[in-house]
Amino acid sequence: MKKSKLLIFITIVMFVFLLGPFLVIIISSFSNNAVMRFPPEGFSLQWYNKVLNIEMFRTTFWMSLKIGLAATLTALILGVPVAYTNVRYRYPGKGALEIFFSSPAIVPGLVIGFSLLRFFIYVTKIPVLTGLYLGHTAILFPYTVRVVSASLRNLDRGIEEAAVSLGSSPVHAFFAVVLPNIQSGLIAAFILAFITSFNNVPVSLFLTGPGVATLPIQMLVYMEYYFDPTISALSSILIVLTIIIIQSTEKLLGISKYM
Amino acid sequence: MNRLHLKKTFVLLLIPGLIFLLFFFLVPLLFVLVESFKGADGGITLIRYKEVLTNPQFRLVFARTLKIALIVTPIAVLVGYPSAYLMTKLPAAKKSILMSLVILPLMTSPVARTYAWIVILGKYGIVNQTLTSIGILKEPVRLMYTEGAIIVGLLQLFLPIMILTLVSAMENVQDEVEEAALSLGSGKAGCFFRVIVPLSFDGLIMGVTLVFTGSITAYVTPAILGGAKVLTLSTLMRQEALVLMNWEAATVIAVIMILTTLILYNGLRLFKPRTLV
Amino acid sequence: MSFIELTNIDAGYIKGNPVLKEFHLSVEKGELVSLLGPSGCGKTTTLRTIAGFIMAERGKVVVGGRDYTDLPPNKRNIGLVFQNYALFPHLSVYENVAYGLKRRKVEKRLIQGEIEDVLKLVSLTGFEERLPAQLSGGQRQRVALARSIVIKPDLLLLDEPLSNLDAKLRDEMRAELSRLQHQLGITMIYVTHDQIEALSLSSRIIVMNEGNIEQIGTPEDIYERPETPFVARFIGFDNHLEGQLISKSEEELVVDVDGTTLVSSRSSGSLDLINNGDPVELYFRPDDTKLLDEEENNSIKADIDYANYQGNTTQYSLHVGESNLRAIVSGKPVPADVKSIRISIAPNKLIVEKKE
Repeated sequence: MKKSKLLIFITIVMFVFLLGPFLVIIISSFSNNAVMRFPPEGFSLQWYNKVLNIEMFRTTFWMSLKIGLAATLTALILGVPVAYTNVRYRYPGKGALEIFFSSPAIVPGLVIGFSLLRFFIYVTKIPVLTGLYLGHTAILFPYTVRVVSASLRNLDRGIEEAAVSLGSSPVHAFFAVVLPNIQSGLIAAFILAFITSFNNVPVSLFLTGPGVATLPIQMLVYMEYYFDPTISALSSILIVLTIIIIQSTEKLLGISKYM
Repeated sequence: MNRLHLKKTFVLLLIPGLIFLLFFFLVPLLFVLVESFKGADGGITLIRYKEVLTNPQFRLVFARTLKIALIVTPIAVLVGYPSAYLMTKLPAAKKSILMSLVILPLMTSPVARTYAWIVILGKYGIVNQTLTSIGILKEPVRLMYTEGAIIVGLLQLFLPIMILTLVSAMENVQDEVEEAALSLGSGKAGCFFRVIVPLSFDGLIMGVTLVFTGSITAYVTPAILGGAKVLTLSTLMRQEALVLMNWEAATVIAVIMILTTLILYNGLRLFKPRTLV
Repeated sequence: MSFIELTNIDAGYIKGNPVLKEFHLSVEKGELVSLLGPSGCGKTTTLRTIAGFIMAERGKVVVGGRDYTDLPPNKRNIGLVFQNYALFPHLSVYENVAYGLKRRKVEKRLIQGEIEDVLKLVSLTGFEERLPAQLSGGQRQRVALARSIVIKPDLLLLDEPLSNLDAKLRDEMRAELSRLQHQLGITMIYVTHDQIEALSLSSRIIVMNEGNIEQIGTPEDIYERPETPFVARFIGFDNHLEGQLISKSEEELVVDVDGTTLVSSRSSGSLDLINNGDPVELYFRPDDTKLLDEEENNSIKADIDYANYQGNTTQYSLHVGESNLRAIVSGKPVPADVKSIRISIAPNKLIVEKKE
């Protein structure tokens, strides 16, 4: 029994360590004072007001949203067929290709961002916004391919054959019978990928430019010049949004299965 | 015949994604790799590598980055293993709540997550405030922009990763194996060390790999908590690339980062007791 | 030309070698033919080649006069019933059954009538709105059947459809299948490794082994008169003895087994192939074995290893020389002090094979 108490103690301390900082941020965002003190003095919503009024935060928020959606959708459209070949076909070199599609998650994001920047400057003159979109799509591949592969593996191959025997072409069978049954996998992949893109810093760092910036980058820039609870407020908003997303998908899908 | 049709479909499914990644991932990386060997005149040379590898600042930063990773990883294991073990023993409902809590630091914007530590570790942050008001300290101590701050920040990110990896590995160790061990007389601690740890070893290796390489290549945490005072490999690279416009150095550092990651991934894989896919 | 004709098929490659090589098969319209054999014998490969999921490298597949060989599976007019039903999980029973009709662009108002009829046929009226997850195994199998019958296919291919059901359900479904087949007259090819299924359902059985057809015949042919050692062993002629052929004639073969003479009225395969003096093997069923007290015609002495009381019958484990035998005999076990008995087998239940 002593061992159990020790275990419980360690676990609790760990959770306090992991989650305490979030509480701190949320509490300090209501401070009356511009100085970063804790516990904060007074109660005020002024920082939230400020966040919502700073145009740069609004613009970059939408930018992150747009890029996230575009990159995630692209990574899904390109990645789902790849996942399909992973699960339904055997061919020489398959193992190597599987590793290749996972590799954007292994190669450091900073290196990916840097190499894309150099590539876009020197080789292919691509506009900044497009470059950012392409870079994000690339790093989302591992998520879409792996999660959808897992989902496909659980699907009985027989139903595709049944559909074909009843008259569907293989393509039609895919849309009519496979896709509807991997819905939860698709949603999980979407959310995972979207969050990865929205929160990404290393790649965005190199691929932003005039008029093209994502929210995390904007926050970093702000923090270089100002040191007040504005970022606390913005961070708190992001934290709460994250909690909402995690909870609702957990309820819908049991997302911890896909991690 | 239909065999060809099958091949055609297969190719159509695979090619778009493959070409995308080749063009917008692999080729740029190769481009950078090639660039790192280019001298001022355009010829092939190792001079860039020499410049970087003999640079005292680089060596300091590289050593520091390794040191940080070497501190973060064991702590993650020591704290993560017991917690993960406890979590696997919980009933499904409680476990799922704890799992969502564990995921939270991973899913939150890294800027938000790391920013909290400024509030905690800053000059007027919680730690300093508490310690000075109690009287342990006479005046605030500089906790920000230190290696310690980076370590703490990284732990908040990598403990969840270690736990997730371990939980999934431990779940594969069947309950029956554990019961069998217990019935054969090993105490709970013995059972843990002699049965569960070895069987979930693969998960441990995976977790260690992820945490160690992640610590070396992390950017946001050292950027915010270390600033320009305490540089790590990634913040150094960014400084060379975006601030100093020293492309050549940045390129070399980038290659060194990839190499280090690859070596670690493959090296740590050798520790796997048996070949499991 | 039969209704279904496979000619000279090479198909189903595993590690470069075809499972079916120069394979021929004919099935008449309205038959229920079983492909019977152990796993790996090629029966599923044959089925999938007819269905179109395996493309033959060589040879032709013709069904109802149409050349199926190069047609993709979705253009062949076949119905498929799988071992694990393969119902579409996201569609209701109605939608599942309607699937094939929709693909064939049948008019909407006609579809409803067809589905009503077929559901009545499989006793699932009223289940239209249920989802597969809400159905029992037997119900799912009936939906799978309905789904493939409603499109009025040229033939129905069934791949061990009853294996996932428990014994009682299996019996019921077997009867259902039989009834349906007779009622609708659909040609069916049924793959199974279970003899009882094959024997009770088929008009003809094709026994397969390692890509080859061992024997084709009616259930009675297969059961009573196996023509090869493999079929004999597969169909239950578990006991075998070794001996030497003494003489042969049209009506009987006389064999010497270690000093005892046994007479058989049957040989599997051709009589020409066995000559006097050749080493032979004798096969017989455990339940065709009788116990005797004294020497009588066609009996041999066997030593008892043990006797298992089974209620109505007793199962004996015996041996004659080095051969282990089983006998299932009605009545209670002999007293424990009896160490050996004589067993007899009727000549027409004893099969002689040339020793390979």
